[in-house]
Amino acid sequence: MDIDDLLAEVAIDSTPRETRDLQELTRCWVAERVAPEILQWPGETMDRVLERVRRQIELVEDQTGNMDPKTNFKLIVIQTELERFKFLVRSFLRARLKKIDTHPLHILNQHNASLASPRPLLSPSEHQYLTSHQALLSSHYSASFLSQFPASLQRLDDTTGGISMVDKPDEDRAVFVRCLRDVGEVWVEGTDRRFEMKRGDVWVVRWSAVRGWVGSGDCELI
Amino acid sequence: MALPLPPGLTPPEIAFLCEMELVTVIPRQRLEGLELLGGPLKPLNPPQRTSVPLWLALLLKRQRRANILPPPWLSPESLTAILDHETEYADAFSPPPRLPPLASNNTLPFSPPFLPSSTADAAPDALPYHWLELGEMLLEAAADDFEDPDNVRKLLRGLREVRMAKLRHGVEVLDAGGGVPMNGVGGMEVGEGRAFVTGVIDGLRKIAASREQQKKDREREERENGYSDYDNDEMDMQ
Repeated sequence: MDIDDLLAEVAIDSTPRETRDLQELTRCWVAERVAPEILQWPGETMDRVLERVRRQIELVEDQTGNMDPKTNFKLIVIQTELERFKFLVRSFLRARLKKIDTHPLHILNQHNASLASPRPLLSPSEHQYLTSHQALLSSHYSASFLSQFPASLQRLDDTTGGISMVDKPDEDRAVFVRCLRDVGEVWVEGTDRRFEMKRGDVWVVRWSAVRGWVGSGDCELI
Repeated sequence: MALPLPPGLTPPEIAFLCEMELVTVIPRQRLEGLELLGGPLKPLNPPQRTSVPLWLALLLKRQRRANILPPPWLSPESLTAILDHETEYADAFSPPPRLPPLASNNTLPFSPPFLPSSTADAAPDALPYHWLELGEMLLEAAADDFEDPDNVRKLLRGLREVRMAKLRHGVEVLDAGGGVPMNGVGGMEVGEGRAFVTGVIDGLRKIAASREQQKKDREREERENGYSDYDNDEMDMQ
């Protein structure tokens, strides 16, 4: 390790919280856009980012009356950045909503299983959306046709006969990942494929094979 | 409200990502420091060089408040050298820039677009992740800051073609298991190749699914309780 490396290390550790949050949010957004299944809700990061966005909007509203050209340009910069952040947050939430709409029952099961852990899968408002949407949907189904079926055929989450009615995303889909730390040997279950993933490497692998490392932050989806 | 787009980033989204890359500008006007959402912005004092995100650099450039200093790898000499390397080694992309040392374990490691791989003191001999997007955007908005923009444009086009040919050629090694190394690939190239590459791998996987499932079950049983159960299953079936 030479002096450059040491200096660089100090620089990384002193990166402001805001910049790290932006990086984390960006990473979550890309991952959510690419991953076949819904990922854990990044609660703390989102809380901080949303709070800052709220304060920034207040600032813009405060200063809009000011016609001084210098402040005016500052405001343009601030607003441009604000719009970029809003896009990021909105696109992230919409990508999650799409997954919730596609596989509601599967995600609800996963969420209920994750409630015991400190970080649940869905945010409170996502959970509320999911449950009330499902309640509306099932009451509509039963009012329009399900109630006329025999009682044994009315369930929407039947698993008898070895076939589950609950749709699942394809967890084996291929994804592009970048390694952020050395993770060692990766083994794709069901095949003879084994390979070593080192820091900085980019691989095309099955989502199920790298899911754990993406969750722990050792790999990122691109 | 749900997003109507298919999985994978669209080209405008990749460009949006690329706009977070840091580039070096030479300001022509003073600008006080600002508290931005993505961290504080240092005051701009002409003619002192500063690194700012690309979106801000483009904004400053359009209003003629700053000049952009193109990164060293975006010079004709560097691009020629990289292009030579790309044509010489036909089976892999040219290596990405050297990574900075890993920070202490509790912080998240940085990755593009948050690595300073496109500032004035970036490495001159390697293409960073967002090379194509960044090059195109700079050439479009700040062509007058390049010494020889036409030549740079030509070289970028050459590089793109060589590399796309490699990506297409790499299709031959795809199989159901996945596990394809793609070191040095660029952001826009991932975006362009994603649908095809993952489509081929997924398609092959579905064809081989039943054989794979058998192998998976067998391996699980071997791991859990040796061979006895497997034999019993076969007996039951007969």
